[in-house]
Amino acid sequence: MNIRKVVLLGSLVAACLLLLTLQTRGYGSTARDFFAVVTMPIQTGLAKASRATFGLWDTYIDWKNVRAENRRLRAEVQGLRVGALRVTETDDENRRLRRLLALQENLPLTTLSGEIIAREWGGWIRSLTVNRGRGDNVPRLTAVISPNGLIGRVVDVRLGVSIVQVLTDPTSIVGAHVLRTRTPGIVEGDPRGTLRFKFMARDGASIQSGDMLVTAGQGGLFPRGIPIGTVRSIDNRGAALFHYADLTPAVDFARVDEVLLVTGDSQRDRDLTAFFTTGG
Amino acid sequence: MRTLLILTVAGGSVAHATLTPLVSIAGVTPDIPLIMVVLLALRRGPEFGCLTGFVTGLLQDAAGGGLIGVQAMTKAVIGFGIGVAGGRLRVSQPLVQVPGLVVLTIAEGLARFALLQVFRFPAPFGELMTYVVLPQALCNGFVGAAFVLALAWTQTLRDHFEGSRP
Repeated sequence: MNIRKVVLLGSLVAACLLLLTLQTRGYGSTARDFFAVVTMPIQTGLAKASRATFGLWDTYIDWKNVRAENRRLRAEVQGLRVGALRVTETDDENRRLRRLLALQENLPLTTLSGEIIAREWGGWIRSLTVNRGRGDNVPRLTAVISPNGLIGRVVDVRLGVSIVQVLTDPTSIVGAHVLRTRTPGIVEGDPRGTLRFKFMARDGASIQSGDMLVTAGQGGLFPRGIPIGTVRSIDNRGAALFHYADLTPAVDFARVDEVLLVTGDSQRDRDLTAFFTTGG
Repeated sequence: MRTLLILTVAGGSVAHATLTPLVSIAGVTPDIPLIMVVLLALRRGPEFGCLTGFVTGLLQDAAGGGLIGVQAMTKAVIGFGIGVAGGRLRVSQPLVQVPGLVVLTIAEGLARFALLQVFRFPAPFGELMTYVVLPQALCNGFVGAAFVLALAWTQTLRDHFEGSRP
C-alpha cells in the first residue's frame, strides 16, 4: 500500500483524536465556534430554501384544497338554498292553510276547502279552476272565499273541478256596500282586470279613499259582510247619476292557492266582516 | 468537476442535518453522507474516500451538535477501507454494495459507540443499536440501492451518448 495513503489516513485520524481530546479537556467551544462559522451560513440558507420550497408546496396544496372545498361549499350552499326555498314555501303554505282552517272553523257557514289548480287570466274571462266538482256536491253559484275576502262564484261545476268566476271578470257583478258609510252599490269587474264600485251620486258623497267594501248579502248569492276591496280612487262624474270608485281587491287573485267554497249558508243574515282579515 | 464534487460533499453533509427530518422514512433517517462516501471511495480510491469521509463526517459533527471528530474519524476510516477494498475485492457489483452498506452502517455505529466510550460520552449501547443503528442500516441499504441504480442508469445513458458520437 502506498505510504502516502497511510499517512493521510493516520493524520486525519490523529486530527480527529486531537479534536476529541481537546473537546473532552474543555476546549470544545472553540472548535465548535470555528466550525459554526463554516456551517451556520450554509445551514441557514438551506433551512430558508427548504422552508420556502415546502412553504410553496404547502401553499399549492392549500390552494388545491381551498378550490376543492370551495366547489364542495358551493354545492352545499346551492343545496341549502333549495332547501331554504322549500322550507319557505312549506312555511308559507302552512301559514295559508292555518288561516284557511281558522276561517273555516270560525265561520258560521258550511264550507268546503279547495285548491286552485288552474287560472284563466286572458282578459276575456278571468277564472280559477278549483279541485272540487260534482263529486263533492258543489252547487253552481257557490260563493268562493279566502281568509282575505271574496274571490268570486262558481259558474260551472264539472266532474272533479269547478270553474270560479273571479270578481275582476268583466261579467262579474256583486252587490256591495261601503263598510263605514253603508253606501250601497255594485262591484263590477272590467276588462283591465280591475274592480270598480258603481254607486249613486247622492248616496256616495262621503266615500273616501281607503274605505272598505263588503258584500251586501242581498240577492241570496253571497253571505253578508265578506270583504271585497278598498277604495283606491273616486271617479267623480259631476252631475251624472252614478259615480264610480276604483277598488283594490281584498284578495290577490293571481296568488291565491287555497279557497273555501261556501256550500251551506244557515245564517244568511249574519254579518261576517269580523271573521276576515281586513286590510289585505 | 472536482469543485462540484467538493461542493456536493460539503453541502450534502451540512444539508443532511438540516433536511434529514424531511427525508425520514417512518422516523428512520438514512445516512446519506455515508452512502456518498462509500460510493465515491469505490469509484475514486482510498485517498479520495478518506478525505471525503473526513470532511463529510466533520461537517456532520459540526452541524449535528455532537462531539466534533467522531463521525469524521469513522467515515474517514470507512472511506479509506472501502477505497482499498474496491481495488482488491469485487465490491463494484450492486448486489455486493447494498448489503455492504448495511454492514458498513452497523460497523460505523459500533465504531462511533466505541469512540464515545473512549471519550466518556454517555451512550446506551442496546437502545442505540436497536432503535438507531439497525433501522438506519436497513434504510441505508434501500437508499443505497436507489443510488446505485441511479448511477448505473446515468452511466448507461452516458455510454449510449458517447457511443453514438461520430
